[in-house]
Amino acid sequence: MNEQAKKARDIITNYNGRPLRIMEVCGTHTHEIFRIGLRKLLPDNVELISGPGCPVCVTPVGFIDEAIWLALEKGCVITTFGDLIRVPGTEMSLAGARAKGAVVRPVYSPLDAVEMARQNPDEQIVFLAVGFETTTPSACLAAETAKKEGLKNFSLLTANKTMPNAYAALVGSADAFLYPGHVNAITGTAICEDLKEKGVSGVIAGFTASELLTALAVILKNAEKDEPFFVNCYPRVVKPEGNPPAQKLIEKVMEPCDTEWRGLGVIPMSGMKLRDEYADFDARKKYDMPEIKGRPNPACRCGDVLQGKCKPCDCKVFGKVCTPEHPVGACMVSDEGACAAYYQYGGV
Amino acid sequence: MCVGLSAKVVNVKDGTALIDANGAKREVSADLLEDLEPGDYVMVHAGVAIAKITESDEEEAFDVMEGLL
Ligand code: SF4
Repeated sequence: MNEQAKKARDIITNYNGRPLRIMEVCGTHTHEIFRIGLRKLLPDNVELISGPGCPVCVTPVGFIDEAIWLALEKGCVITTFGDLIRVPGTEMSLAGARAKGAVVRPVYSPLDAVEMARQNPDEQIVFLAVGFETTTPSACLAAETAKKEGLKNFSLLTANKTMPNAYAALVGSADAFLYPGHVNAITGTAICEDLKEKGVSGVIAGFTASELLTALAVILKNAEKDEPFFVNCYPRVVKPEGNPPAQKLIEKVMEPCDTEWRGLGVIPMSGMKLRDEYADFDARKKYDMPEIKGRPNPACRCGDVLQGKCKPCDCKVFGKVCTPEHPVGACMVSDEGACAAYYQYGGV
Repeated sequence: MCVGLSAKVVNVKDGTALIDANGAKREVSADLLEDLEPGDYVMVHAGVAIAKITESDEEEAFDVMEGLL
């Protein structure tokens, strides 16, 4: 271990200030922190809690039901990031819908779904657009490309979300946030500066062992001062202005809307939907979709887990009825989900 | 699904960049980054290059901390 890594580790293990609750907003942070064993370094007075930053985990039950409706009632081909396929809907997941004849294809990028539409003019391709500011530009690029080319067989089912109003809803659940670096790569650092003005502390963190060690050490060092702080610990990727072309594209293609978060309910203006100019590419409008309301499994405590109110192992069905092979809630599906991370790494 | 991939740009043409991520090559959209050139490092997410990376060496993170402590 080099000198700096040792220094960061010493700051963490020797921390003896006030008790701290640090929320890792992003699911990839949750997963990486477990994987590199960072939790074991933490002194007793520092607690890491998982937040709502895994897009698969916050996708509501009703969204899965909508996708299944498009597949089974309208015969659309559903294209999606692979993780969503096993997320439970009210009656079944997309994997379950396959058994009833639904065609569901995982893709790496929404642009791959556009290519599929080009290659298969006889199929109606729908891409499930989930994700935060990091992922939304790729969905917007797909809509923009389809519009430019006049594709008649491509549309998006949107559930895109934005972080700022979610942070506002979470204020008070943690003493400091570990902000998700890739969201800030798009948005820049202004959101975090604003939160600091409102008394909310946090640092932008990268994803490697050295970056996470650094970010935690910087939090603990600053926490000693007892005043709100913000530090960008990921400057090699996150610039203060973020990515302006991506921001412009999102602004052109989508607009804010109220949206439901799994377990958290509707957070006003925390979602993004396609603007009217892109109505032909909005699956809800194109297929005249009725309002579909999902019913989550009452045993699942994903909502509490996503707000840091309980740990996955506090859920009665954790590890028994609910496992990565048979997930009851979304947090057990993706590697980035808090329940899946606790299951995989032993509920530390 | 949120994992980013850092990669080196090999070639840029018509809004598409050929990238090399630890030897694995693939094409990604370069539409969201201005003035991308071969040799640049980028962060790729869902098939789109979303940020230019100034430092290719992640260990630089420690230098950042040095400045903050
Ligand atoms: S263990 Fe399963 S049922 Fe319980 S909160 Fe997590 S995902 Fe939901």
